[in-house]
Amino acid sequence: MTAFDVIASLDLLGGNVVRLTRGDFGTARSYGLPEAVLDTLAVSRGARLHVVDLEGSRSGRPVETELVRRMAARDIAVQVGGGIRSLDDARRWFDCGAARIVVGTVAAETPDLLAQLVAAFGAARVIPAVDVRDGVIRVAGWERASGASLQEVFRRFESLGIDEALVTDISYDGALRGPSFALYRELRALTTVRLIASGGVSTISDVVSLARHRNVSGCVIGKALLEGRLDLGEARRSVAVPNAIPERVIPCLDVRDDRVVKGVSFANIRDAGDPVECAMRYEAEGADELVLLDISATDRGTGTTVDTVRRVAESLFIPLTVGGGVQTAEDFRALLRAGADRVAINTAAIRRPELIAECAAEFGVQAVVLSCDARRTGDRRLATVRGGKETTSLDAVDWCRRAAALGAGEILLTSVDCDGQNRGYDLELLRAVTSAVKVGVIASGGAGRLEDFRDAIERGGARAVLAASLFHDRVLTVDAVKRYLSNEGIPTR
Amino acid sequence: MLVTLIDSPVANTANIARALRAVGAELQVTRDRAIIAAADKLVLPGVGSFVAARSWLAEHGIDEAIDAAVAGGAALLGICVGHQLLFDVSYEMGTTRGLGLVRGAVERFGGTLPVPQIGWNRVAFEAHPLFAGVAPSTSFYFVNSYAGRTSAHEIASAAYDGAFTAAVQNGRVLGVQFHPEKSSTAGLRVLRNYVELQP
Repeated sequence: MTAFDVIASLDLLGGNVVRLTRGDFGTARSYGLPEAVLDTLAVSRGARLHVVDLEGSRSGRPVETELVRRMAARDIAVQVGGGIRSLDDARRWFDCGAARIVVGTVAAETPDLLAQLVAAFGAARVIPAVDVRDGVIRVAGWERASGASLQEVFRRFESLGIDEALVTDISYDGALRGPSFALYRELRALTTVRLIASGGVSTISDVVSLARHRNVSGCVIGKALLEGRLDLGEARRSVAVPNAIPERVIPCLDVRDDRVVKGVSFANIRDAGDPVECAMRYEAEGADELVLLDISATDRGTGTTVDTVRRVAESLFIPLTVGGGVQTAEDFRALLRAGADRVAINTAAIRRPELIAECAAEFGVQAVVLSCDARRTGDRRLATVRGGKETTSLDAVDWCRRAAALGAGEILLTSVDCDGQNRGYDLELLRAVTSAVKVGVIASGGAGRLEDFRDAIERGGARAVLAASLFHDRVLTVDAVKRYLSNEGIPTR
Repeated sequence: MLVTLIDSPVANTANIARALRAVGAELQVTRDRAIIAAADKLVLPGVGSFVAARSWLAEHGIDEAIDAAVAGGAALLGICVGHQLLFDVSYEMGTTRGLGLVRGAVERFGGTLPVPQIGWNRVAFEAHPLFAGVAPSTSFYFVNSYAGRTSAHEIASAAYDGAFTAAVQNGRVLGVQFHPEKSSTAGLRVLRNYVELQP
């Protein structure tokens, strides 16, 4: 198996690198000569580069041959697509030094030509490109549906000996919602052809998640690189060594007056047992960490929390993060002394952000967790305090970014809207925060099915997934979640 | 087996004490130089700053007491920053000499992953008494921004933006970069192996 390849993608028009908005030539924005762009993006010698000849795809003949020749002369393995409709077109690109050609409409609509291209140039030099919307292949600039099904088309690729295809989910393209993991998963069941993922790749976490798909051999990235939101070198390094660092599954104990309780959207609270018994059961089930939130402490202080923590820590040998009612560095210290490894701060940090920096300086950034309870208000997501009772005017994403800069070592991000609903985490919120901060994010609020845990990590970019009632009610065990994640290619302990 | 846990203020001594008791150690927790110098089996904990932990050892003559105990044949287990203290030198905030009980230098993680490393990480090791009963590639819990990058005394390694030293041994001096007291069953097994280690 070869390494996962992160491939920069450039659209060429009129001798320059450009970007179009929704395929409209009138909207072309120029990024200058390809050489300058290659230098800016730090595309190194020997690297693979994906280019699209926009004018070529419009006019149906190779146009930017000179640019491709110049890039090939820099020892770059150019794969070029755009309007290749004959053996002669293909030959012209190879004569310019292209390493591979990418064929779209041909791949789905003219199987005879595809077979001729493979016969003439070899299966390794022909990459069929398949654009998919809602499970249906789109051709001719996405304007119409192909008559051929995904299954037929991939069967044909296999029979021609093609082992790599470029697959774009065009309902995702450029929308910054992340790659279409579901499509790549669906194709894994359908074909042995390896896929180059295209569309929606915009974060390091997207790249890492794609690399965990055994049938995905690489991805192309355009917009996010050109806009500077993603660094090509960093993306390449993130998959250079197999990332086997386990992702964490964390049960949460919501505690009130030394009892575990559970509720829906922070209300309607019921008793769910003794914290020590719950904690020990979760460790035995394989929990990677435990979060204990004292929901009574915001109003009453951390006095009883310290006692609960002391009792739990006595028999717990996994990391323990404690939150609820922490107002001062003294409260913080008392919880660490009682046996907490890390302490989560919410309300007090919003009232006085310097508390984060003070605690980080005194106890280390690893001990400081920012707990952010976010609530949707119109199209904004605002931080809330006092257990979701009060909504502030702080944008949750901005606040998380600021807290990380002040010294929070990790962010416990709860969606107040999704909490207790069992309908999945707020993936948009997660993506917004995980792409805004370098520190790890624990996804919280809304887990209901196994897929939700996977999606929080794969699509949301979370480094840990937390759930409370789902585990308390034994709808799922920690162990079952970890086995599921592992089967989905996500490393667990 | 009597284990002497050095009561450093730059450490999570209470958690380590709980774990050592849980695996059957008879424990004394002390800052007394004479007791440390005369001990047969020592544990040196540490979290946070190498420099602060090293200064405390020097200010109270604990470093000399540890040297005396090791010279007299005592076993020593360093945990996290306690493990780093065993090395020749650390480059955390300048250059600070360690205890020089194992070869190597402690350096900051560099690269793309968040620093500190907070979480579980797989540890690779060959058969070793400290890891007896622990499955290969088991994950342990780490919290660290710095680590030994290579050591002639390495007995286990892990990767975080490149390989680093997860455990060391030089004679009866042992060190683990991870937190065995927070690594569930596997971590407790490592502690038990140390507690039951015969002279």
